[in-house]
Amino acid sequence: MVRTLVERYEDDLFLVKGAAGWASVIGLLAGLAALPVLLPRIGLGYLLFIVILMAANVIVAVGLNLLVGYTGLISLGHAGFVAIGAYASGLLAARFDLPWPVAWIGAMAISAACGFVVGLPALRLTGPYLTIATLGFGIAVYQTLTNWTGLSGGRMGLAVPPLSLGIAGLTSTQQLCYVALGAAALLVWVGYNLARSHIGRALVAIRDSDIAAEMTGINLTWYKTLAFALSAAYAGIAGAVIAQALRHLEPQSFTFLESITYFAMIVIGGLGTVAGSVIGGVVLTLLPHYLSELKQWLPVVYGAVIIVMMAVEPRGIYGRWVRIKLYFKTWPL
Amino acid sequence: MKACTRIALALVTVVTLAAVAASQPAERGVTATEIVLGTSMPTSGPAAFWGVPIAGAMDAWLKNINDQGGIHGRRLRLVARDDGYLPPRAVANTRELVERDNVFALVASLGTANVFAVRDYVIETQTLWITPLAGADIWAGFRRNKYVFSAYPSYIEEGIYLTTYAAQHLKSKTFAVFYQNDLYGQQGTLGIKRGIDRLPGTKLVRQVSYEVTDAEVAAQAQKLRESGADTVILYATPRHGALIVREMARLGYRPTLVSSFTLCDPAMFALAGEAWNDIYLSSYFPLPGTGDAKVEAVLQTLSRINPALARNPFNAIGGVAFIEPFLEGLRRTGPNLTKDRLVSAMESIRNWDGEILRGVTYGPDRRQGTNRLFMVKSERGQYRKLTDWYVYPTRF
Amino acid sequence: MTQLVQYLVGGLAAGSLYALVALGIVLLYRSSRVLNFAHGDLATLATFVAFTLLASGIPFPVAAAGSLLSAAAIGAAFFFLVLRPAREATLLGKVVTTLGLALVFSGIMQLVWGADTKVLPFPLSDTRVYTLGQVVISEINLGTILAGLALMALLYVLVQRTKVGLAMRAVAQDTTAAQALGIPARRIFGLTWALASALGGAAGILLAPVVYLDPFMMLDPFLKGFAAAVLGGMDSLPGAVVGGFLLGAAESVFAGYVSFKFKTTFAFAVIILVLMVRSEGLLGHEYRRRV
Repeated sequence: MVRTLVERYEDDLFLVKGAAGWASVIGLLAGLAALPVLLPRIGLGYLLFIVILMAANVIVAVGLNLLVGYTGLISLGHAGFVAIGAYASGLLAARFDLPWPVAWIGAMAISAACGFVVGLPALRLTGPYLTIATLGFGIAVYQTLTNWTGLSGGRMGLAVPPLSLGIAGLTSTQQLCYVALGAAALLVWVGYNLARSHIGRALVAIRDSDIAAEMTGINLTWYKTLAFALSAAYAGIAGAVIAQALRHLEPQSFTFLESITYFAMIVIGGLGTVAGSVIGGVVLTLLPHYLSELKQWLPVVYGAVIIVMMAVEPRGIYGRWVRIKLYFKTWPL
Repeated sequence: MKACTRIALALVTVVTLAAVAASQPAERGVTATEIVLGTSMPTSGPAAFWGVPIAGAMDAWLKNINDQGGIHGRRLRLVARDDGYLPPRAVANTRELVERDNVFALVASLGTANVFAVRDYVIETQTLWITPLAGADIWAGFRRNKYVFSAYPSYIEEGIYLTTYAAQHLKSKTFAVFYQNDLYGQQGTLGIKRGIDRLPGTKLVRQVSYEVTDAEVAAQAQKLRESGADTVILYATPRHGALIVREMARLGYRPTLVSSFTLCDPAMFALAGEAWNDIYLSSYFPLPGTGDAKVEAVLQTLSRINPALARNPFNAIGGVAFIEPFLEGLRRTGPNLTKDRLVSAMESIRNWDGEILRGVTYGPDRRQGTNRLFMVKSERGQYRKLTDWYVYPTRF
Repeated sequence: MTQLVQYLVGGLAAGSLYALVALGIVLLYRSSRVLNFAHGDLATLATFVAFTLLASGIPFPVAAAGSLLSAAAIGAAFFFLVLRPAREATLLGKVVTTLGLALVFSGIMQLVWGADTKVLPFPLSDTRVYTLGQVVISEINLGTILAGLALMALLYVLVQRTKVGLAMRAVAQDTTAAQALGIPARRIFGLTWALASALGGAAGILLAPVVYLDPFMMLDPFLKGFAAAVLGGMDSLPGAVVGGFLLGAAESVFAGYVSFKFKTTFAFAVIILVLMVRSEGLLGHEYRRRV
């Protein structure tokens, strides 16, 4: 095993280290690119939808982790941002006949704007107080979507026109799968870059001590609202993915319980890490789906698995991975 | 090679091929010995009080049929999955049921949001879909419904019927409605409005809604009292229905009470107690406990197979009602079962009386199996039948 | 005027239930900073225990006591068996563990008692009412309001006037320092969990006759109780009660005069506005960490 000595700060910041790192990144991307074509070939086509949901959940989790894990601000209202993204993308595509990439960017912008507004009270609030404020936001979005029938279609729902990449030979599910995976990969990459940029360092400084951060010249107002807006932008894109996956939006999909699930994802995956968010998003999408045949036993097993995971590894699954890596770094010493 | 050998060889080949073709499953989800059905249900989460008894009763009823030898020698197997009442999970379940478990038909997906979310997929894959549990009106004007068969009432038509009955037989003039703020309650309210438009001299004076998550409804009861309506129509779950009648009784407000069939649950007597007297309800099948021999027999069979179902007889009976027209279709199709032959067999069902449902009719242009209601009245812990069938126009 | 008073009465009745839930949440948050998402489900579980005891013919006071004891035991067991061993866990990690616990509880309730709605027999009558002019209040509503106030007073005495209460406050403020002074912090934490859980059980038993018993009975009251706790100040017991009553009354009046559909949104909007002015709730004083 070749040990590399980190000599300069820039070395430490490299996102992908060495040939082995590049090989694994390229391998991973190639695997993801092959997935939508490969799965139906081996008779697992029904998993494509799960992959799409997984991509959406990963996007929300990365965004939420930027807020909770990096900045230390809590949100239990992220289903609200996801709902805004979903309905915004759906409405922009259905009412204004915009092509889907424009609608998605619009959804992201609208969601980010809402995130900015929600971020304003966050300047004064922390802990449970912020939790309740964001939770209230999530419920307000839900009730508005339920009752403002002219905008959202209310409980009758809103039909979303399907997107198309214009590639013949791919089913609509495969095309959406490509878009969703592409969006997830891009946003995970953005997440990594944000985390290691001056923005990420400012957010971490705020998390560790906001007073000290302010002393070092970090503008709290700007960075706290920025964290909310970024996080909401991620949720907005995830909402657009979910809108396409369901093709029929109903407020029922965006309740308070979803917000809690998003929150559980990042804690179980690992707070303050992008990789942890990805893991959490994947695990908490697969778990309920594979448990769904247990019927009434589902909540018991699901809950028990969560408790055991947190008991075995309080720092999340990614934390365990880091420990294993650390252990082998000095192996066989 | 002699000619007769060639002929013999050719014959053998043909016979072998035919045998292979015959032994191949002719249809997805159907083998010589088994028919696979699938359902995605909320068997956990806040809607489990519906999902558990319905899924349980369907399963128990199929078991009962299997015990008697199945249908044309085929046993029926139900693959049930939990969706927790969440649309994304319902879609994931449905796709897996169709593509992995290869079900012959989907039965009774529960909840409007879930039905809408899986609708495009089920229609595109041309999967048989038996009684999606959402108000029948969502199918009106929907063209591609060849493989969809519903045996569920229309909330709008029910609203019209309740209003008309109250105005004609209970001397109701001013109406108020207490409804759940979702498609179920909204469509019921729409029906009430349409009914009132047709009845001169009647007025809808107040619409009061509640959310399904609301713990109590004291403010709603007071609002209804203030409206002074002589008749209040309920579109609610059993819990909220019981809460509102108790609360109104407490405030000393005693209007004529009329209710949607969802409150025909005998559990209402235990929940609302004294307050559940003299309520007028519509129903689309003979209620358990009203002396209908067939329904009582079904209930006995169900509780013998799964004793837990006896706790919730109304929803359990519903579970049987949702699949029995389909089972009749299977019987009529005969041993050679394909999807399209089943569709023709279903279309031949005319005015058929099942164990629970009565007067079920399908046809080449008709997918709405039930369009009949009658009124019952609650009296001293029992429901009493008041009227004969009322038939409303079908829309799909 | 009568109208307004009647809405207020209905609101206060609901508010007393919110207050009871809020008390348990606050008690736990004060000591361990953990937001217990299993609070509602544990309360419902305790109520189901009372239901089963009552169904087997045990008189109400005994059944209620048994239910509260079982809630306390489960709460303490959860602390000692799950939270305590995971010492490394972050605060948010503990919160997620309570989420897992909530799922387990709700699953168990559905498996054992079924998901249908049940009636919990209760000594106070639901139909007997007292009228004052046009204003009506039922015996049970009056009972829950009084019980809420009584429990609050009891807790206040326990926390502020007894030695155990002093230890609880000490542990809440600085665990290490408290341990150095010889306070058995672990046992105090366990006691706090037990007490908060029993309080939840009491809320459940008082709530069930009003809203009926089913595994999800606490979903909305828990959320509102949490909101009420925040409105009053997360570390203030009187604040929890004030918050509960205020929230119930505001919701009811808004529903009566403006809209049922946005009642919860309105409640949260009020809370956010209050928090804008007083960022630690009406009566809260967070212990501040200095740099």
